[in-house]
Order: sequence, then C-alpha cells, then structure tokens
Amino acid sequence: MSNGTEIIKNKDKDRLIAVKGLYKTFGKLEVLKGVSTEIKKGEKVVILGPSGSGKSTLLRCMNLLETPTYGEIWFEGKLLTPVDPYLHFDIIRLSKTYKKLYEELKARNPVITDEDADKTVIKDIKEHDLLRRSEGAEYKKEIKTLYKKYFQNVNLTRQKIGMVFQHFNLFNNLTVMGNMTLAPVQLKLKTKAEAEEKALTLLKRIGLEDKENVYPSTLSGGQKQRIAIIRSLMMEPDVMLFDEPTSALDPEMVGEVLGLMKELADDGMTMVVVTHEIGFAKEVASRVLFVDDGKIKEENEPKEFFGNPKDPRLKDFLSKVLV
Amino acid sequence: MGLKMGNFFSSIWTDFYDCFIKYDYYMMYLKGLRNTIIISLLACIIGLLIGIVITCVRIAPKNNVLIRIADTIGRLYVTIIRGTPVVLQLFIGYFVVFVSLKSTSVFAIKDTAGVWVAALVFGINSGAYMSEILRGGIMSVDKGQMEAGRSLGLSWTHTFFRIVLPQALKIAIPTMFNEFITLVKETSVAGYVGIIDLMKIQKYITTQSAKLYMPLIIIAVIYLIVVLFLQFLQKRIEKKLSAGDNK
Ligand SMILES: Nc1ncnc2c1ncn2[C@@H]1O[C@H](COP(=O)(O)OP(=O)(O)OP(=O)(O)O)[C@@H](O)[C@H]1O
Ligand SMILES: [Mg+2]
Repeated sequence: MSNGTEIIKNKDKDRLIAVKGLYKTFGKLEVLKGVSTEIKKGEKVVILGPSGSGKSTLLRCMNLLETPTYGEIWFEGKLLTPVDPYLHFDIIRLSKTYKKLYEELKARNPVITDEDADKTVIKDIKEHDLLRRSEGAEYKKEIKTLYKKYFQNVNLTRQKIGMVFQHFNLFNNLTVMGNMTLAPVQLKLKTKAEAEEKALTLLKRIGLEDKENVYPSTLSGGQKQRIAIIRSLMMEPDVMLFDEPTSALDPEMVGEVLGLMKELADDGMTMVVVTHEIGFAKEVASRVLFVDDGKIKEENEPKEFFGNPKDPRLKDFLSKVLV
Repeated sequence: MGLKMGNFFSSIWTDFYDCFIKYDYYMMYLKGLRNTIIISLLACIIGLLIGIVITCVRIAPKNNVLIRIADTIGRLYVTIIRGTPVVLQLFIGYFVVFVSLKSTSVFAIKDTAGVWVAALVFGINSGAYMSEILRGGIMSVDKGQMEAGRSLGLSWTHTFFRIVLPQALKIAIPTMFNEFITLVKETSVAGYVGIIDLMKIQKYITTQSAKLYMPLIIIAVIYLIVVLFLQFLQKRIEKKLSAGDNK
C-alpha cells in the first residue's frame, strides 16, 4: 500500500473533498489503484480518461455510492469512510506488527538510526499490507478516537453533494415537481410550500415551468437532464458531481445541458465533471485530471494539460480525441 | 324442431332446479363458496406477508450473520415449496401436523379448524411464489432510481418505499393477480382432506341428485365469477398505478 499520505489537518475551509490513498476492487478486478486528490471550493475539475479506466468509480467513491476498498474520503473536514490505518503513521506505530518488526530490525542491524528504522518498517508494512485485525488495545483505541472525532453519517453528507448521472435517473413514479421537492421536504430542509416555490423559480430559470406536473417519461433527454441538475440544486449543494451528463443525449440536446452547466460554473459552483466533451474542459475547467489504469496519471490547468501533455498515455489519448 | 329445443331447455331447467334450488341446495353452494373464499383470502394475505418478509430479507444488504442465516432459510423455503405439489403440502399440513397436534393437544380442537389449516398451508405455499414475484419486480426497477435517491441524502429505506417499491409493484401487479387467481383455483383440492369447499359440495350434490354435469357447471360458473371479480380489481389497481406512463 503505497501512495498513502499522512493525515492532513482538515480544518482548511477551502478543501471540500479530499480523496486519500483510494483503492477500489470489484472482486478480482482492481479498478482504482491508489488515487489521492483534493477538490477545493470553487474549482471546476474535469476528469478525462479512456473507457473503463475508473473515472466513474472515482466520482462515485466521492459520495460513497461505491464503497472504497482502502483509503479515506473526507468532505468538509468530516470523514465518510472508516479510518484507514495505512494513512496514519502514528497509528501504524502503535501496532503490534510495527513494534515487533522494529525490534527485529534493531536487533539485526544495531547501527541503524531510530529514524531510518522507523521509515523502513513503515514502508514495509504499507507495501506488504501487514496490518492484521488485532494489533493491540492502543492501536484500536487510537482508530476509535479518530473515527469518533471525525466520522459523519453519509446521508447527511450527501445532502451537500449533488450528483448528476449519465442516464438522468429522474424518479419515474413522480412528477417533475415531485422529483424536485421529495428530498428537501422529506429531509425537513424546507416546507412543502418553500420547496415548491424554489422549484418553480428553478424551472423558470431553465424555461420549463410548464412541465411542473408532467411525468419524466414525457420529457426529452435534454429536458430530463436539465431537470436532474436543478433537482440537485434544490438541496443547495456545496459541490456537484457529473458523470458523463451528455453522453446519453442526442447531439442536438448536448448544447442545452452544457449551457446550464456553464451557467452553474459562472455562478461559482464547485464542480467535478467526468466527460468526453473536450471543448467544455478547455473552456470551463480550472484543472483537468487524466485517469488511466486506475491512477491519476497527469493533472494540470487546461492550457498546459492540452498544450503540453507529458504522460505518454495522455499524449496518445489526446491524439485520438483531438482530431 | 321448436318443440325439441323447448324440451331441451326445460330439461336443463329441471336439472338446474334439482341441483340448485330443490332442498335449498344453493345454501350448500354458498357454504362451499364461503369456505373457498375464506381459504383463498386468508392464504392470499398470509402469502403476501410471507412474500414481503422473504423479499426484504433477500434484497437487504448482507452485512451480518443473522441476515445471512435468514436469507438461507428463505431460499430453502422457496426451493422446497416450489419443488413439491401443493396437494402434498396440504396432506402433510393436515394429516401429519394438524391431526397429530389435535390428538396430543389438551384443548379440544374443532374439526372445522381444518379450514384454518388449509388457509395456512395455501398461504405458506403462496408466500414462496409471491416472494419470487416481488423480488422480480424490485430487480427490474433500474438501479439508478435507488442511486438518485441516495445521492440526494435520502436513506435506503426512504428511497425504497417512496421510489423503488411503487415502481416494483406496478411491474408485479399482473403477475401477483395471476398468482391470486391460481390460488383460488388451487384451493379446490382442499376436499381431499375433508374440507367442505365448492368442489366438495359439487361432489356431494352430484351424488345426491344423480345429475352428473349440472353441479359441475354450476361451480364452474361460480369460480368464474370469483376470478372475473379479481380481474376487475386488477384493472382498477393498474389504472391507479399507471400514473407516469407514456401516454
Ligand atoms: N459494480 C461493478 N461491478 C463490477 N465491475 C465494475 C462495477 N463498476 C465498474 N466496474 C468495472 O470497473 C472498471 C472501471 O469502470 P468505470 O465505470 O469506473 O470506468 P469509466 O472510466 O467510467 O469508463 P466509461 O468511460 O466507459 O464510463 C470497468 O472495467 C468496469 O467494468
Ligand atoms: Mg463511466
């Protein structure tokens, strides 16, 4: 387990999402192989990468629609996953395994400095996944303390993380109005009247106020996706995740959805967008990530990213999409 | 010719009279129908309850030992019930369980309790089919519906009952009614263990009146009426649930 980082003090108000040492496997398939990144307030991050590279999985781990195999996800200073001991050197040092290996190393090599011994043992433990279930009371207590201090229920967190899906996922059994008001009303964030008023304002903004009482099956793809976006906005999220929001649309409807997304970006919304729309990335992104083979192979601001790519796989990828 | 037709109809009328009205036979049909309906209705309710419980256990996240044990029991139950004839289950329920309970029980159990036993057996039988039907309905709702609910911060339970279940029921209603209708007709084997249902009444009156075909036709019509009523109910419910369909 390499690529872990020491615990970062999560007081920084600007840091909305922190992904630390994220691994994700589906059965035997390793999809994410150690991803760490941060999303800061106001950033517009675009994720690019070949099909099957793990882009959706990375995005879906950010709001825990997928459960990480290893690693931690933080949101606004709150921990969403269990504590991953491999990310905390001070916890590793409390483990029986560490103590045993440290003693052994010292005995074998009496001249080694304490500092070097510590480094070697920690590296060994992380690389070979040596921590076991029972590592002693101290170790357990420290993990518990951290968890108690930082953990927050995921349902609470998700209220602040909007998500837009490739296939819209509007609730088929509810009208447009029902779709928009269900969550804020059920979660007691708004009264029914407040929610309906806000929904109407948003519907007017996208010019679909006449669709208030229709069911999703009567809408076009572009209309569905724009309503899915404002359904997320009903929760007044701090960040919005988009997973290929235009991939399932007929070409003539892509523009209206990208247009709405640009408006959101201009309003200062923090956004993480998985897309194949290079134009959108160039115009809107403040940072572009290239995900390949379960890792972030390159990240940069768009000018450098597209103008001066360094990773050979990225060069190859760009030569195919920038025709 | 006209005379012959007239004779034909009047002889049918006589047969009908002999098998339905004479000696207040219709009261007996009503009694049989009553038992058939009690058994079917109770079995339907029991089946639905069992079906819902088994379905919930089977689709719930398998994150502790208890739920995994319950899941295994559920699967075993479905396999056994679906793998054996309902008449056999009735015989076991009646002759093995009920009769031996009756002979060892300190309380007096009335013979009419057989109706309740049959209702229970058919209910347990129906539960297995119902759970498969419900599960199929839930599985056929797009996974994205649950994900959309969860991503807005709604709980699994909340999303399940407000979003997934209504859509699943809509998909499952026709198959569920199919199961209810099958159930009503299947109860006609209850006579094998001495329960006085429609079928048994027919046998009795056939013997009494020595009219072979008429009681058969009478109960056929009665069954048909019951089934038509169920179909009517189904249409009403489907209409109520059809909101959101492509119009
Ligand atoms: N729930 C799952 N169970 C098993 N395998 C999965 C699951 N979800 C994703 N995968 C696999 O993980 C790999 C990465 O999937 P992911 O959806 O993250 O890729 P992607 O980069 O979003 O690709 P695309 O551009 O095609 O959307 C794929 O090989 C996919 O088949
Ligand atoms: Mg994807």
